[in-house]
Amino acid sequence: MNVKIYTTNHCPYCHQAKDFFKEKKVEFKEINVEENPQAAEEMVEKSGQMGVPVIEIDGQIIVGFNKPAIEKALKK
Amino acid sequence: MYDIIIIGAGAAGLTSAIYTGRKKMKTLVVSVDIGGQTLLTEHIENYPGYTEETPGFPSGPKLMQLFDTQAKKFGAEFTSGKVNKLEKTGNGFKASLTNGETYEAKAIVLAYGKVPRSLGVPGEDKFIGRGVSTCATCDAPIFKGKTVAVIGGGNSAVEAAELLTKYATKVYLIHRRDAFRADEVTIERVKKLPNIEFVLDTVPTEIKGEKFVKGIGIENSKTKEKRELEVGGVFVEIGYVIETDFVKDLVKINEKNELIVNESGETSCPGIFAAGDLSSFPYKQTIISAGQGAMAALTAYEYVMKLEGKTGARIDWS
Ligand SMILES: Cc1cc2nc3c(=O)[nH]c(=O)nc-3n(C[C@H](O)[C@H](O)[C@H](O)COP(=O)(O)OP(=O)(O)OC[C@H]3O[C@@H](n4cnc5c(N)ncnc54)[C@H](O)[C@@H]3O)c2cc1C
Repeated sequence: MNVKIYTTNHCPYCHQAKDFFKEKKVEFKEINVEENPQAAEEMVEKSGQMGVPVIEIDGQIIVGFNKPAIEKALKK
Repeated sequence: MYDIIIIGAGAAGLTSAIYTGRKKMKTLVVSVDIGGQTLLTEHIENYPGYTEETPGFPSGPKLMQLFDTQAKKFGAEFTSGKVNKLEKTGNGFKASLTNGETYEAKAIVLAYGKVPRSLGVPGEDKFIGRGVSTCATCDAPIFKGKTVAVIGGGNSAVEAAELLTKYATKVYLIHRRDAFRADEVTIERVKKLPNIEFVLDTVPTEIKGEKFVKGIGIENSKTKEKRELEVGGVFVEIGYVIETDFVKDLVKINEKNELIVNESGETSCPGIFAAGDLSSFPYKQTIISAGQGAMAALTAYEYVMKLEGKTGARIDWS
């Protein structure tokens, strides 16, 4: 499974999402859009919106720390 | 059927859950998120016992994680969702969630806090997340190199504008009055920033764009002159409101739209208790919400014990 999470430094829901993945022992790649403006553009393009976090699970885009949607995507 | 349903998992709700869990009450916590507004506090330095010696200090989210772990340790169940209906039933209450689920309990603790106030202008809902944001702390970095507008005149608005000047090329700070309500020191500091422009006596009328925000329509409330600013982002920082629609037929509300509670956390409806920022108690703080949460839980415990014919002896410690 390929899990990516787009974050900024001070976004509480990003921290919650990362903790959630750690708790579930799901490996993920963090992309900090604050440090990488190009990734910010990529995130906006992929998700069609400008809020963090954006979570990508095997190509599926989930906006925000939407736990039910994340759990569903992980089960697939 | 639960003994108790706690609506909201901020400082108030999580503390209630610790107390009802320890009383072995069958507890369900229903909440949109875990931690509430304290998640937005980068530095919380006035919560007793949370100091340099505590791992995570001074992060608000880390403090809330400690609350959460403690509540779960004592057995509270959690479900994520938003309650939009609360009704009396023959033997208690029924809470309905926007996802269609329903849960029943003998008693209820309302601890769902406050939510950011919205502007109520055309385009706001459409562009939420597409340039309209209510969390500058979260989203500011994404607006690097753009021009943005911040709406509001209190500390949170002025501080959001200050933060945004680090990323955006230009920040308009739009306020409906002729002076800000923020602290003098903050205003003085912000005034000196080169890329900020104050737009006073002005209200937004519309947020415009295609896929993303492209501009904001504004009107000077004195001259009635209208114009449009080209911006890629609009940050709404005009305070918080308490949602009372789903409870106002059950419990009494005061003129500030707060839920009226007495000193033990009882609302006007037997069996419904309330705690935290949504209550009529003054001073909206994490420690106060936590304390009220404990109070509401203990009073609710007594109430449920009495329902079951057991003595609801008042306990001073447990
Ligand atoms: C930027 C900022 C900085 C602050 N700094 C400090 C500080 O330094 N020190 C301090 O003591 N206080 C501070 N505060 C105030 C403090 O955060 C609040 O007083 C405290 O969070 C209130 O807790 P609460 O549990 O009453 O409500 P909230 O924190 O608002 O929690 C409400 C909970 O209910 C949930 N919810 C909402 N509606 C529903 C619904 N319909 N159904 C189910 N769940 C729902 C929410 O998801 C949330 O989990 C700050 C607040 C902000 C915004």
